[in-house]
Amino acid sequence: MTGTANDSEFRKQLDDLSLAQQRAVGARFVHSVKDLTDDARIDVAIKVAQDSEANNDEIHSAFKSARSAVLDCYTRCGADADWATQASYFVARAASDVVMPEKEISNNNPAWQAAMHSRMARTCAVIDTDTTEEQQETEQQHRILDHFLND
Amino acid sequence: MSEATLERGIKALKEQIDAPVASFFSSCVHCGMCAEACLFYTETGNPKYTPISKVEPMRRLWEQEFTLIGRIKKLLGLSKKITDEELSEWQELVYNSCSMCGRCTMVCPVGNDITYMIRKFREGMSAAGHAPEGLIGATTRAIQIGSPMGVKFPALKAQAGHVEKEVGFEIPFDKVGAEYMLLMSSMEIMNYPEYLGAVARIFHQAGKSWTISSEAFEATNSGIQIGTSDLARELVNRIVEAAEKLKVKTVISPECGHAYTAIRWEGPNLVGHPFSFRVRHILEVLDEFRKDGLLRTEGFEEDKMTFHDPCQLVRRGGVIEQPRNLLNMVAKNFVEMDDHGKMNWCCGAGGGVSANEDAHELKLTAFKRKKAQLDELHVDTLVTACANCRIQLEEGLEVNDMDIPVVGLTEMLAEHLVETDSKQG
Ligand code: SF4
Ligand code: SF4
Repeated sequence: MTGTANDSEFRKQLDDLSLAQQRAVGARFVHSVKDLTDDARIDVAIKVAQDSEANNDEIHSAFKSARSAVLDCYTRCGADADWATQASYFVARAASDVVMPEKEISNNNPAWQAAMHSRMARTCAVIDTDTTEEQQETEQQHRILDHFLND
Repeated sequence: MSEATLERGIKALKEQIDAPVASFFSSCVHCGMCAEACLFYTETGNPKYTPISKVEPMRRLWEQEFTLIGRIKKLLGLSKKITDEELSEWQELVYNSCSMCGRCTMVCPVGNDITYMIRKFREGMSAAGHAPEGLIGATTRAIQIGSPMGVKFPALKAQAGHVEKEVGFEIPFDKVGAEYMLLMSSMEIMNYPEYLGAVARIFHQAGKSWTISSEAFEATNSGIQIGTSDLARELVNRIVEAAEKLKVKTVISPECGHAYTAIRWEGPNLVGHPFSFRVRHILEVLDEFRKDGLLRTEGFEEDKMTFHDPCQLVRRGGVIEQPRNLLNMVAKNFVEMDDHGKMNWCCGAGGGVSANEDAHELKLTAFKRKKAQLDELHVDTLVTACANCRIQLEEGLEVNDMDIPVVGLTEMLAEHLVETDSKQG
């Protein structure tokens, strides 16, 4: 299989996966930005999303705790932006994407959503600097998908 | 606080007692109807949270300075002086326990605009040095950086970059001659970047030109929340200048309730002249698109859902029909809360309450009213159109262990757009 060259191809490949595969590869995207948070609830979401045997109750409970992680680190209206905390907010959102119960997913692809939120997390972490880490995260996601497809 | 500073504070408060405030105080018949309309009172049962008691020091000042009996009492040394401790105590009442929702104003049988009085009281309190730290910080950042949350343009650009990847085309910045100029709230930039993606997709489908100004993208007006007209004016002026520079016809206020009031209803009064452009809330614009056949959706949400009306939209702006027209395009099973529309209950976090950390517990107590409304309906999804309401609703639902997702109406509509070539741009 040839490597993922760009984002539209990346997205198309994600769209072609089954929901269980989307959760599993999305979990790998989340894992890649896990350095931006120390919240244990994220690990639970990653684990459940990668477990093809996980039942609906387990998914739902992982989703609930990922959502509470989201609410613990959003920025309040009017609060001074703390981009490091905001990075963990997006990691938590990415984590909740991959364990979102099926009926709430609607047209969204959980893996794509997790990819976007993971990139946003990386962006927040470097927002006041002049680095290319965010581009690196995109390339990393392309590699992750290649590995996943070749596993 | 020194005597001189207190005197200055009292002078600042006195200056806020204009003709409407004075006539409101003299016409109040103490019926208590406003109390039953205020969620901070109904959910706590504490009489100090009744709307009219929130402005009590101002009433005493009015009585002492502007009524004959009050002046006589003052001369005889019989009136109770306003102290600095009292003003400190009232800081909590006027900022923490009022979301400026306007519901009390709706029910007063003699037509007192209690919300206006509270706004004037805040104006005096902030001049007297009695405003919450959180709001002072937000206002300082808004003036110095352009955003109450310190969001600078590169941060918006970075978020827009992700959105561009998502939607497949460019987010237009600083385009002179665009028809619409989109404002955003920092809350959306930081917490809900999907809002920008939804707007981009809808405008793309509608074939309308739009832009975001790099010089004035922020809609939130902390000057209004803290109650300082000078600062509020400065923030409105920045938007006016940007809109005139870009020669746009319409400025769009985002999914943020009070930003809409600030720019649309208070804006022209603050700057002292009519605007050369229209101001519309995003839902008003989308409803115009709907009427013109420019908003084309497909499919329906099957979930049972209801809509939380942001106070500033319904009570100040009369934006009641528009969200319902839009919801009907995509929701099959839409139900109304009791007291929806004009008399909707506040989420508990507007008017600067959410920016004020000291009010955290109280705002979640106030949320109990929304909880009661939702408990009656058993809905699967809650829709709203204000980022600040949304986060308060999400938090309130979480604290109360209620498993109801909260979605923004603009995003929900974008999910149902008839697929065009938008991915190619
Ligand atoms: S504006 Fe709303 S929160 Fe404030 S006193 Fe009136 S009813 Fe209560
Ligand atoms: S509703 Fe009006 S008249 Fe009645 S107590 Fe409140 S302010 Fe006074």
